[in-house]
Amino acid sequence: MNGYGYRLGAIGIISTFFIIIFSTVLMPMVLFRPDPTVTRNDYDAEGKIGDPRRGRRIYIREGCFYCHTQFTRLQDREYGPLVKAGDYVYETPHQLGTARTGPDLTNEGGKFPSEWQKAHLIQPRAVKPGSIMPSFSYLSDRDMNDLVCYLQTLGNKRTVHKYVEAPDEYQVTTPVGFALHERKHVDTNSDAAANAGRGIFTQNCAACHGLEALGNGPNSISLTKKPANFTRPFYKQYSDEMWFYRVSEGVVGTRMPRFNLILTEEERWYVVAYLKTLPKDAEVTVDKLDQLDKVEQIRLPKLSKQQYEPHSGGDH
Amino acid sequence: MSGVLNKFLSNEEGSASRNFLLSAMFWSLLGMGAGVFASMEFYNPDLVHNIPQFSMPHLRMWHVNAVTIGWLSMGYIGSVFHMVPTLCKNKLFSERLGNFTMWAWNLLMVGAICTLLNGNTEGREYAELGAVLDCMAAVALCTVTFNVLMTVAHRRVKKLYVSLWYFLGSLFWFPLVYIIGQRTFVFLPGLNDAIIGWFYGHNILGMWFTTIGVGIMYYLLPRYTQAPLYSHGLSMLGFWGIALFYAPTGTHHILQSPVPEWLKAIAVISSIFLLVPVLTVLTNFFMTMKGKWGQGADDLPLRFAMTSALFYLMTCLQGPFQATRWINWYLHFTQWVVGHAHAALLGAFSFILTSAIYYALPRLTGREWHSQSLIRLHYWLKFIGFLIMYFSLTVAGLIQSAGWAMGIPVDQWSNTLYPYWFVRAISGVMIVTGQAIFCYNAFRSLYTPSPVAVTAKTREVKV
Repeated sequence: MNGYGYRLGAIGIISTFFIIIFSTVLMPMVLFRPDPTVTRNDYDAEGKIGDPRRGRRIYIREGCFYCHTQFTRLQDREYGPLVKAGDYVYETPHQLGTARTGPDLTNEGGKFPSEWQKAHLIQPRAVKPGSIMPSFSYLSDRDMNDLVCYLQTLGNKRTVHKYVEAPDEYQVTTPVGFALHERKHVDTNSDAAANAGRGIFTQNCAACHGLEALGNGPNSISLTKKPANFTRPFYKQYSDEMWFYRVSEGVVGTRMPRFNLILTEEERWYVVAYLKTLPKDAEVTVDKLDQLDKVEQIRLPKLSKQQYEPHSGGDH
Repeated sequence: MSGVLNKFLSNEEGSASRNFLLSAMFWSLLGMGAGVFASMEFYNPDLVHNIPQFSMPHLRMWHVNAVTIGWLSMGYIGSVFHMVPTLCKNKLFSERLGNFTMWAWNLLMVGAICTLLNGNTEGREYAELGAVLDCMAAVALCTVTFNVLMTVAHRRVKKLYVSLWYFLGSLFWFPLVYIIGQRTFVFLPGLNDAIIGWFYGHNILGMWFTTIGVGIMYYLLPRYTQAPLYSHGLSMLGFWGIALFYAPTGTHHILQSPVPEWLKAIAVISSIFLLVPVLTVLTNFFMTMKGKWGQGADDLPLRFAMTSALFYLMTCLQGPFQATRWINWYLHFTQWVVGHAHAALLGAFSFILTSAIYYALPRLTGREWHSQSLIRLHYWLKFIGFLIMYFSLTVAGLIQSAGWAMGIPVDQWSNTLYPYWFVRAISGVMIVTGQAIFCYNAFRSLYTPSPVAVTAKTREVKV
């Protein structure tokens, strides 16, 4: 080879590289310019407990995108409507994510009450047994509020705000649910019903959930996914139907049984009445995000391991 | 004054290369250690409480940046500074400039550990470093390119060996890829940001770790086996193949997001075409090794290089396979991909870099390795540790894939992954132990008086 060959080689390297830059970097910039869609996130939460835009920066700072994705795919179930190209026009840096160690967050907004989100950030295993999410208890109140506020804006234009709710079969709006409510003669708000429910709770639930429903019954020692602690504030947002659904059909993936095989409908309604009377950790609860700034700052109780995972050995 | 200058910006031959290699080993300990720490938090999420610096996502950011920018890149530059002058039969253009780059790069890493562990990130995967650090890295890369180019320009041989093609190609396009990919001062619309992000995310692998790694392999194999390269023409075919087919593949990371279909098609097709250069390169390696595989029994650096070639084959067969739409549909978002990334960076390129350090350090410092047994121990710990890690992540990925494909909520199957997280943490401990032994061995070789006579040749200048 002569010296000319190297010059040719150098020209080859440079031109190959720029052809590729042109086709995969510049061409998409020019050709791919989707219009913003109405379903894009506009960071507009009704009445602010925090600043969603700052919340997004916290989301990035805490590296949430390493485990949570923000795009739904055709084959995904239970993660809400599919995303469109125009949904991302103002999302920079993009938070599409690469791995799902946790669930997808595309349509996370409104799926859970804000208090739930906060409790989940402070100690994920307190509200989602078996979760491996790290605890973000070190976040300041302001950071936490902003982050929760951001999470509540995700997909808010795509989905209807809906907190944890029982399936349609349990709602009065469907024939099956209507029949269920027709048969119901227990006043779930009465003390008498709650009193009746207490006995049933002691016999059937206390072994796992504990006499005070703190999730620390004797059986909980051997369970990997710890039973729920019903004094957590967000349980106050469960409707009667939601409680009834949970008691009847159990929690899939845990040892919580389907009590519709064990208890009669009437007995289950009594249990619901009792569950609603359980003492709460914090008195102030609201249903909607936009009411949050009208009530006092919600303070979660100081985290003690004993409270959340009573049998893990404790830290005192 | 000149004493201080000579101490910090030494003009001694080979000092820049040696300093780069030693810094790489130092940062590898911190980077891999962070990886193990994070993997333990997967198994026990309550391992640390209320310490933001040790939160899993922060450790992950630092882990990825430390092993890519710190360990692999610094090691690669050290190796290039050693190999290019040898191949050109002259000295490095400027050792002072090389040492200056080394200090800048170390400063960059100090900045990285301080910012990333506190979450000061740009929020772009593989491009987490902040604006100042980005600029430092870009300048440092350009300085390296300048130094190497000037060395090659003053060469005393006419013909450029294939390794030099790889080094020069990588050093030309990687600074550009880096500058484009960081998107430091530009704010692009979300999906365009993602397209360029993955152009960068894939090309830091394809146009830097792969090309320099393959160049190092081309340099080392003929030297270890004392045999000429099987085919120069084949090596050129491999080089142009990599240059053509690697760069447009980035979009296969976001195959199921709403980016344009034509871009996805380009990415998938070039991913499959990548088999051409990969098999060309590996045919060349394996034919060079023909009849000499037995040497790996005694020659430990050669054994590292052979293992690297085999893992490279494994990674590169896996890559096109999982870049096709049907497979991607099933496997995306899972730990399978994490296993694949470790196969490339740890299995293939970390092994070849280790081999290069074992080869180069005695020639740079004139001191033999302190202990062959420790090298052997390092090899087995890293080899077995990597295999365990790879298979645990792959199996965990298949479980996750099944979960996502069947639409079962995460919290119902996440518990079944605990054994794999545990095994992964164990394998991480093995790998870090191996790396620590490596560093200890290097320390003993360099900084303690050697009882045996110095036998290592200083840098031989023959091709």
